[in-house]
Amino acid sequence: MLMFSYLLATGITSGALYALVALGIVIVYKATGVVNLAHGELFMVGGFLGYTLHVMFRLPYVPSLVLAVAGAFLVGILTDRIAYRPLMRQGLVSVLLATIGCSFILKGIARVLWGGKGDYLAFPPLVSPEPIRLGNIMIMSQQLVVLAAAIAVMVLFTVFFKTTRAGMLMQATASNPKAATLAGIRISRVYMYTFGAGAAVAGASAVLMAPLTLLYPDIGFTLFVKGFAAAVLGGLTSVPGAIVGGILVGILEQFAAGFIGTSVQDVSAFVVIMFALVFLPSGILGAGDVRKV
Amino acid sequence: MTSRRTGFTLAVATLIVASLASLATAADVPGVTKDEIKIGAFGPLTGPVYMYGKLAMNGLDALIDKVNQQGGIHGRKLKLIREDDSCKPEAAIAAVRKLIYEHKVFMINGGACSNSTLAAKPEVVKAGIPFVVNSAVADGISTPPSPSIFTTQLTATIESRAQVKYALDQKAKKIAVVAQHDAWGKARYEPLMTALKEQGIKPVADEEMTVDQNDGTAQALRLMQAGADAVLLVVYPKPAAVVIRDSVKLGYKPLWIGQTAIQDLPQLQEQVGLQGALDKLVSITAIPSHPDDPEMAEWRERLKKLFPNDALSVFNLMGIGSGAVVVEALKRAGPDLTREKFLQAMGGIKNLKTGMYPGPITCNPPASHQCNQSVAWIKLVDGKVKSIGVTTLE
Repeated sequence: MLMFSYLLATGITSGALYALVALGIVIVYKATGVVNLAHGELFMVGGFLGYTLHVMFRLPYVPSLVLAVAGAFLVGILTDRIAYRPLMRQGLVSVLLATIGCSFILKGIARVLWGGKGDYLAFPPLVSPEPIRLGNIMIMSQQLVVLAAAIAVMVLFTVFFKTTRAGMLMQATASNPKAATLAGIRISRVYMYTFGAGAAVAGASAVLMAPLTLLYPDIGFTLFVKGFAAAVLGGLTSVPGAIVGGILVGILEQFAAGFIGTSVQDVSAFVVIMFALVFLPSGILGAGDVRKV
Repeated sequence: MTSRRTGFTLAVATLIVASLASLATAADVPGVTKDEIKIGAFGPLTGPVYMYGKLAMNGLDALIDKVNQQGGIHGRKLKLIREDDSCKPEAAIAAVRKLIYEHKVFMINGGACSNSTLAAKPEVVKAGIPFVVNSAVADGISTPPSPSIFTTQLTATIESRAQVKYALDQKAKKIAVVAQHDAWGKARYEPLMTALKEQGIKPVADEEMTVDQNDGTAQALRLMQAGADAVLLVVYPKPAAVVIRDSVKLGYKPLWIGQTAIQDLPQLQEQVGLQGALDKLVSITAIPSHPDDPEMAEWRERLKKLFPNDALSVFNLMGIGSGAVVVEALKRAGPDLTREKFLQAMGGIKNLKTGMYPGPITCNPPASHQCNQSVAWIKLVDGKVKSIGVTTLE
């Protein structure tokens, strides 16, 4: 029973990591219809910005977090202006390829800037690194911070998409770009801010998660895969779905590793993607209109 | 008169022949001229494991700088030529070909990543160029022995046998394994399982971690459930940090026994982030000296002079240690340097103390070209790495 409790709790907390990554993917997809394959690298860049400010320049945690988010937002906007916007008229495949290109470029830049400082960089946690007791199990406090952040970002963006004009403009643009243009919406600007917002979420996630994941230039890909599995399972258009998907992927991974064997832990995310694409193409909470990937 | 003239003619002829022979030697031996010996190196200069390539090469360059300052070897200065393989097999093949056929180096002292070095091995064998491995650990590189390949690095088998021996010396009753099952991990995992089998030990738990894993709770729970009192780690620093952190979280503190991938213990402590988490961890190093040790002052200065942004690290020392063996063999090969003479000199090295490796370097051709059979054990004590002993395998 203790093992079950631990695996469940760890599944939820590690699922929160995937949920935060999935949220960024969903936010961009929901507004642009593009799966940003460079999202993992935006996460990595945000993490290294936070590391530079907090660890190297010794700025306090909160200003470092805010500046890392702002920096990631700018990088997101830059990737759109330089790589995605010129290709938007060429179709989604071209943009998708551009996101792959961006992921390699960002990784290359990070290797030059931050790659020579050690193999895996440690990032100090926001709260005490010591584990805390919850009932009969012990949990790392930073994991609870990540879980709380994932829920906060979910609430924020759900409210944003449902109640604000900007959120509705984003959804309208994604739903029908031509109609949105006719209605006077500057879709290129909407896309730009969306890529910026997705990157900002990645930046915030990275600074919060770095004490648990450590930092290195190649960290983005694996987290992207897990986050993408979570987003597909939850529904690529659903913000709450990203949280549900992330936590389900996390729990599944832990149960697979704990009860079947640790060799199947990493594979389970890929099984989830395949299962979701075949049997639940709209995801658990998706809108059912899977238009483009 | 006739005989005097004949003698004079013979003397002149001998001189001419000798000069031609010496010219021919310099011209015929690739990478060797009257005043220079070209040494090639390949390994990752970029990417996540650049330390094993670039930093080892920087160390080798510091040694070369010292040798050249002292007049070189038999009047010839050494020159290092680097090629980046990015730790990728296909890039390593291209790098080695470039070193052999384009740069025409005399020998190679390098090879950082096991997979890429293994991939490049056939090129080395085909060309018959001497190759002294300084970082890669896969047994297949030097076993079965190829006439032109020697290694000064510990190999996976040596480390695995040392891990098992240490656990048994500590009277461990239930031994478990946590391993990466990628190519790097397999190259160590298989010899480790063989070493355990040789001792008649079946691990009580055999768990897997991936290099990017962010949580090791399931692994820690399974180890704890199996009652393992010693855990042999065949993983990179990140998975090691994660599984140790999550074990501490559960209040589970076995004896952790690492290998050379886990030797920056202060950094590992930072990565784990929990005080006292490494109290029961020991790991292997090929280089027992710490870069901050007083006797390393010379190398700190030499490295700083050549590479102002580098702080002396164990990876630099690895390059220096292996380079010292190469330099000794070059000296022993004599002024009329050929590849055959160099390989003969390498094979003749016995009980060479480099000041870097834990034990003396002894090459035993044709039976073994693995010249380093000693591992040093390290532990973190009061935040500093301490050498706690040496195991020399027979």
